[in-house]
Amino acid sequence: MSSITILMTLQNLAGVLTLAGAIIVVAVVIFVISSTSKEEDKDAAKHKVYSVRTRYFFGLCLVLIVGLFISLRLLPYPRANAVADETVSIVGVQWFWKMANGERTTGPLEFVGSNEVTVPAKKNLKFVVTSADVNHSFGIYNSKGVLVTQTQAMPQYNNVLYHQFDEPGEYYVVCMEYCGQTHSYMVGKIHVQ
Amino acid sequence: MSTLEISQVEKKKERKLAIIWAVTFLIVFPLLVILGLYMRLNQGKVVELDYTKFYAFMTMHGLGMAGVLFSVAFAGLWYLISTRITRLSLGVGYFVYFTVLIGFLALAYGTLIGNFAAGWYMLYPLPFKGASWATWSTQVSAVALILMGIAWLVGILHLLYALTKRYGGFFNLLGWQYLRKGDHEKLPSVVLIATVALIPGIFAFLAGAVMLIMYLLQTFEPSLAFNPLLMKNLTFFFGHMLVNVTLYCGVGWVYALMPEFTKREWKVDKVVVYSWNATFFFIVFAYLHHLYMDFAQPRSMQYIGQIFSYMSAVPATAVTMFGIIAQVYHSKMKWSIFPLMSLFGMMGWAIGGFAALVDTTIAINVGLHNTLWVPAHFHTYMLMGVVLFIFGYLFYLFSGEEGIHLKNVTGKAGFWLFVIGAYGFLLMFYLSGINGVPRRFADYQGIEAGHVKETGTQLARYAAMFIYLILLGLLVMYWSLFAKLTRRQKASAW
Repeated sequence: MSSITILMTLQNLAGVLTLAGAIIVVAVVIFVISSTSKEEDKDAAKHKVYSVRTRYFFGLCLVLIVGLFISLRLLPYPRANAVADETVSIVGVQWFWKMANGERTTGPLEFVGSNEVTVPAKKNLKFVVTSADVNHSFGIYNSKGVLVTQTQAMPQYNNVLYHQFDEPGEYYVVCMEYCGQTHSYMVGKIHVQ
Repeated sequence: MSTLEISQVEKKKERKLAIIWAVTFLIVFPLLVILGLYMRLNQGKVVELDYTKFYAFMTMHGLGMAGVLFSVAFAGLWYLISTRITRLSLGVGYFVYFTVLIGFLALAYGTLIGNFAAGWYMLYPLPFKGASWATWSTQVSAVALILMGIAWLVGILHLLYALTKRYGGFFNLLGWQYLRKGDHEKLPSVVLIATVALIPGIFAFLAGAVMLIMYLLQTFEPSLAFNPLLMKNLTFFFGHMLVNVTLYCGVGWVYALMPEFTKREWKVDKVVVYSWNATFFFIVFAYLHHLYMDFAQPRSMQYIGQIFSYMSAVPATAVTMFGIIAQVYHSKMKWSIFPLMSLFGMMGWAIGGFAALVDTTIAINVGLHNTLWVPAHFHTYMLMGVVLFIFGYLFYLFSGEEGIHLKNVTGKAGFWLFVIGAYGFLLMFYLSGINGVPRRFADYQGIEAGHVKETGTQLARYAAMFIYLILLGLLVMYWSLFAKLTRRQKASAW
């Protein structure tokens, strides 16, 4: 399974989980409202609710712990032993991207790069991302419009993002952090061959 | 729950202040909604706003909403506490009101006239680089926010001081006496929740003030520079807590007033104390989830962000939400407008909280961060949580303690229009988020990737239609609210 498919699944998973959660919440609200047509002694009613609560409490803790255990192993951050096949340097500038293959040897302001860059498919790429002015965010979309991955471009800091493109094709860089007047047009292209 | 001997004259004076706050909210809120409407219309290419204007609207919408919602949430707590628990100074109350009002008007001037357009979070160093607005508008906006922060700080400190005196020590406000053996005076739940909400509020305003002073200094001395990662931490520490604190103020009224409808006491006990003290702890650290995509942030802080965000779901649902279920379940209560709005407010909090929980999973956040999923979930617990709590409270305030139990067909019709409009509007945000439509974009015309441009534009148009429904719902609720207020005024003629 490619990393894009995994991400697609995760984004859809977010939607499905939230929809399921919302349905449960609405069902509980309807149940609670409909229960008020009958009266029950307040202590008996409370006892019933609190016995459910105890089970809910342990169930929720279990779900959260399992959720943490699984999800904290899927972090997008670089691993200590990560090895890159190639490095790509990225500098965000109001309101365009400077991108070039290889390590950056100059400061972000002097760095020369283009709004388009070509990289190989099926290689572990190391993107070293920074900014020459304000905060930007380096978001990569595939040609289907799926947000594949992202990291912030912050002045004075290098954010290192490892990513492998499994499918060749056109990918689109979109600035995901508000950076001023023409932020919505701060776009670039990655050709994956 | 009243433990205060207070004369009718004093009560009327406090009520007058509460109504002044309420009317101010009722004027400002729809205006800020209309700014949001313009933003969605622009994103849908139905209107053409200048980019600077769009982002100035966005800045005012965000800061204005956060400010006015917190203000009225705090004013509601103030009213309940000053008329039922302990005396509060009217002078301080009016000082807070007028200072916030001046700050708010200055902020409107800085953004809508001066075009200050750095977003609510004015992410450092954006106001100083490539800004399309004049330095003076940054200065006016920063001073405006500092003024509001000072006013809220004074108000919070006064309220906590009065409560500390009333309950014989600060830790008693946190309910710690319940954890010891022996007799103790009963603590009203609203006091515990107010304390848990307002102490982080103090931290938030101090962090915000430090940050804004740094901004101001740099506008006068451009050679100064601060660390952008530190500034970002301060910004989100402030912003995240302000939103949470606002929500908890609203929850405070629900705890205080719901028993009047269910006829069941909502007592503070050990579980409630543990729960709210844990909440206190969680909200202070959960803000770290805003910085997940800053890979340079120490890794341990990212872990803390997710763990604390996940854990915050435990007290919120297992105690507070189960608490309201225990209040209502088989209570044979009448569903007048206050309990209806309170329960739906809890529902909005739960749904928005669930969507937030999904997004606080780092592995998922990488696909949702700064997409419209983020405004989707916080609009859910603000619009369908806090705003419903506020309207419930306003109906309570305007109707009076007897009138609130009446049927109120008009008010409920407005409520349903509002709820349907709001959930339709929110659904467009969620669908946009799943489809990768980024947030804080004046329009989507520059995005070439797949269908993002078309999807984002179309959903923005649908969202705008639902905002019209929201406005219609507001109009009907206003009709009902003012009918109640004027009728009461004739009766009591204060």
